[in-house]
Amino acid sequence: MSRVSSRQAALIIGLVIGLALGLVYTWGIAPVELVNTYPALLRTDYRWDWIRLVALSYVTDGDLERARARLDGLEQEDVAGAIQALIEEHAAAGRPAGTLRRLTALAEALDVYTPAMLVYLHTPTSAPPAPASTSSPTLTSTILPPTPTPTLPRASTSTPSPTPTTKPTRTPRPLTPTPTPLSPFQLIQQEQICEPGQTPHIEVVVRDERGTGLDGVVVWLMWPGGADRAVTGLKPQGGAGYADFDAEPGVSYALGIGELGMPLVTDLRIESCPARKGKEPLLGSWRIVVKRRSPETEM
Amino acid sequence: MSKRARKWVVRAVPGAVLGLALGFAIGWWLWPVQYTNTAPSVLRQDYRDDYIVMVAAAYEVEEDLGQARERLELLDSEEPAALVVELAERLVEAGGSTEDITHLARLAWALGATTSTLVPYLEGPP
Repeated sequence: MSRVSSRQAALIIGLVIGLALGLVYTWGIAPVELVNTYPALLRTDYRWDWIRLVALSYVTDGDLERARARLDGLEQEDVAGAIQALIEEHAAAGRPAGTLRRLTALAEALDVYTPAMLVYLHTPTSAPPAPASTSSPTLTSTILPPTPTPTLPRASTSTPSPTPTTKPTRTPRPLTPTPTPLSPFQLIQQEQICEPGQTPHIEVVVRDERGTGLDGVVVWLMWPGGADRAVTGLKPQGGAGYADFDAEPGVSYALGIGELGMPLVTDLRIESCPARKGKEPLLGSWRIVVKRRSPETEM
Repeated sequence: MSKRARKWVVRAVPGAVLGLALGFAIGWWLWPVQYTNTAPSVLRQDYRDDYIVMVAAAYEVEEDLGQARERLELLDSEEPAALVVELAERLVEAGGSTEDITHLARLAWALGATTSTLVPYLEGPP
């Protein structure tokens, strides 16, 4: 009995030593080589930048299937976060409405929503161009997004392989192929208001072609991470066509009017009023006056 | 070494060999080192190509050359422009998308590197 135990003990100790040496070698000395990785393994900031690049590429080519293929294998949470951040950043920076519409269309197709894109949803827009076409029949190939087939050896059971992003089942909203229209409103006055005791705010007055205050117009105020909506005429004390928003210093606002929602004013910030001798420094508010274009000036 | 100890070692050797084989199987196949937080420089070649194409497309939208250069430097910090030119020429040769080539040609031009093959793509819209 004791002879058998001794033999078993030798085998077990040998096995443990061998296993330990094997793992030290394969994990420490010669681990699986780090090549041929794929986007899902990128560091978070690079992964988000990959998603941003996908979205910006979509702005140029309008190819939804290509965008989906490029995002394949990435977590929906990452996709949503990166695209939301991109839209908010572009909205706050006052990027062209066409770019924002494309980004919004992509976000909607991917089931990503953020307040900053509300203005650009379901507004008249031009259709994205057809997927990259070639000018010559001989030029037919394009760089297809790689398929997410990792070449790293992966555990079959203990390590989950990257799961493809769930494909939204929503059918993309058909886009009306009309040229991008001009905003029906134009900015005619932007004035800083410096009144003691006032809370910083942004006043908007919407007028018609003849200069009469226009009630019932939707006004959007957007900022990084959010948006607010007001309708003119709900505060009669401000006069016809009046609406206002509370505002905070240090935030870059963009203002859009009406259903079209193209920002008319961008990078609007609550700033200090010019210093007055012997007076407390004041934070100024803004008064924005816009006027509806007459039909003949519209495109 | 005493006879008994030698005998013990001889008995342990098969176990050690088995253990070593098991360790290799686990470490390289069953449960290999899992890399996360990688950089674009170790992306598979097709992903690298797609990354460069997307950087060029993003440059069309953002018009931020510094940003485009920074992104390319993640692939090759020495000669980021060469990556763009090389890919564009490869696409021209392979009959790739005119739009992609045009974006690449424009970015290469902005980075101060282009070739005669790419010049035709610099003229007019994609």
